[in-house]
Amino acid sequence: MDMADGLSAIFLQNRPALLRFLRGRGAGEDAEDMLQDMWMKLEAKDLGPVADPLPYLYRMANNLMLDRYRSAIRRERREQGWAESAGGVMADPAGDIAVDERMILTQRLEEARAVLRGLGPRAELVFRRFRIEGVGQRQIAQELGVSLTTVEKDLQKAYRAMLALKQRLDTE
Amino acid sequence: MIQEDALMWMIRTRDPEFADWEGFTAWLEVDPAHAAAYDALMAQDAALGEMIPADPVHMPAPANDAGPPRERRWRPMRWIGGGAAAAALVGAVSLGVMNRSDIYTVTTAPGQTRTVALDDGTRIDVNGGTTLRLDRKDLRFAALDKGEAAFTVRHDEADPFRVNVGDAVFEDAGTVFNIVRSGTSTRIGVSEGKVIYNPSAQAIALPAGRALTEDAAGIHVMNIAPEAVASWRGGRLVYANARIGDIGEDIARSIGIRLSATPGAAAMRFTGTIALDRDPVRFFAGAAPLMGLTAVRQGDGWLLKEGDGPQS
Repeated sequence: MDMADGLSAIFLQNRPALLRFLRGRGAGEDAEDMLQDMWMKLEAKDLGPVADPLPYLYRMANNLMLDRYRSAIRRERREQGWAESAGGVMADPAGDIAVDERMILTQRLEEARAVLRGLGPRAELVFRRFRIEGVGQRQIAQELGVSLTTVEKDLQKAYRAMLALKQRLDTE
Repeated sequence: MIQEDALMWMIRTRDPEFADWEGFTAWLEVDPAHAAAYDALMAQDAALGEMIPADPVHMPAPANDAGPPRERRWRPMRWIGGGAAAAALVGAVSLGVMNRSDIYTVTTAPGQTRTVALDDGTRIDVNGGTTLRLDRKDLRFAALDKGEAAFTVRHDEADPFRVNVGDAVFEDAGTVFNIVRSGTSTRIGVSEGKVIYNPSAQAIALPAGRALTEDAAGIHVMNIAPEAVASWRGGRLVYANARIGDIGEDIARSIGIRLSATPGAAAMRFTGTIALDRDPVRFFAGAAPLMGLTAVRQGDGWLLKEGDGPQS
């Protein structure tokens, strides 16, 4: 059986569950249309083998919702004339950065570095492995020889600290 | 409470192995505010990438790793660009040996190259991010502690030129060769003449067009196009089925940037020629698609990664 056919079949089998998920994610009346979009994409794309088709489909749906949220925020900002403001959720990593902005960026990186250091070496390592390298928690736990709960707690601690720093920098 | 739960679900759903989408759905269905809190957190998380400094991470070494006793042993992970701790360690080692007055150290910053001409006619082209030790009293000695150097050796049958790399010794037999030392792995490519690997042990002969790698996985000998050896001297990097992880290190050293790669990207392989460019934005605009990767600015460095997985 063709791999794309496989995904399509799983999609059809799980359509009601995916619809529930999209509604839960706040898609409202658009949930049906979004499912239709997903279906068209699955049909159009020549996807390679997918190890876990159902989680893949859920993730695809979740990504659609994240995109939707991003565009909504972007539109809101544009309407409020904030599009040019530095920092914030939608700041694009521009290729050329002015000198004073670069200084601020460097300063912020230093602060982030200090916060990460403050977590202790294990939590910092766990956070970097997870957030930057995209390694799963189970694998990180194995690498470090600690429990999954420990990894989860480290991640929560690190995220709380980094999000608090981000909030502080954004309001500065 | 919603915030805490949303944070938990954000972390869980970000995990590549996450599978409990039904549990996530159930949580979302409890209250529309849950989805809103989750969306807001995910957006914040997306912005964190820009904030995280691209520092090398160090990982505790396995217990059976040989190393100096009574010292906390750390093994640098696959982070490219050289860490302060690793640099400090190299510095300490060099300092110890430098106390012998005849040994001197040649170092280059990433992106900087240097040529050393020895009195016997041997020339050493030193690439960026490199630490090389030479001996004033013994012109036939060199030790490559880290980085990359190309050796054009004046051959002397009676007194061969030897390069020490970690525990290994490369002995020339009339030769142009290039050595890369990174962490505990070593790569050598021979473009002219012949090099003998560990003459007193394995004694593997490497004629022109042969390459050898030595790392945790063992020793491997393979073919290499002679023109690919030390191609960095000509402003390009030439590869045949090379690991992106190794290529990334060559790039970081050659154009002087911090560069890391996700494990998925690092394990990929590339065949072809990459033109070097000092402007990283311009460089990656051409080189990243060529390697089938995406390069993103991350902190004060760059990150090579694969596609973002399922496209929405």
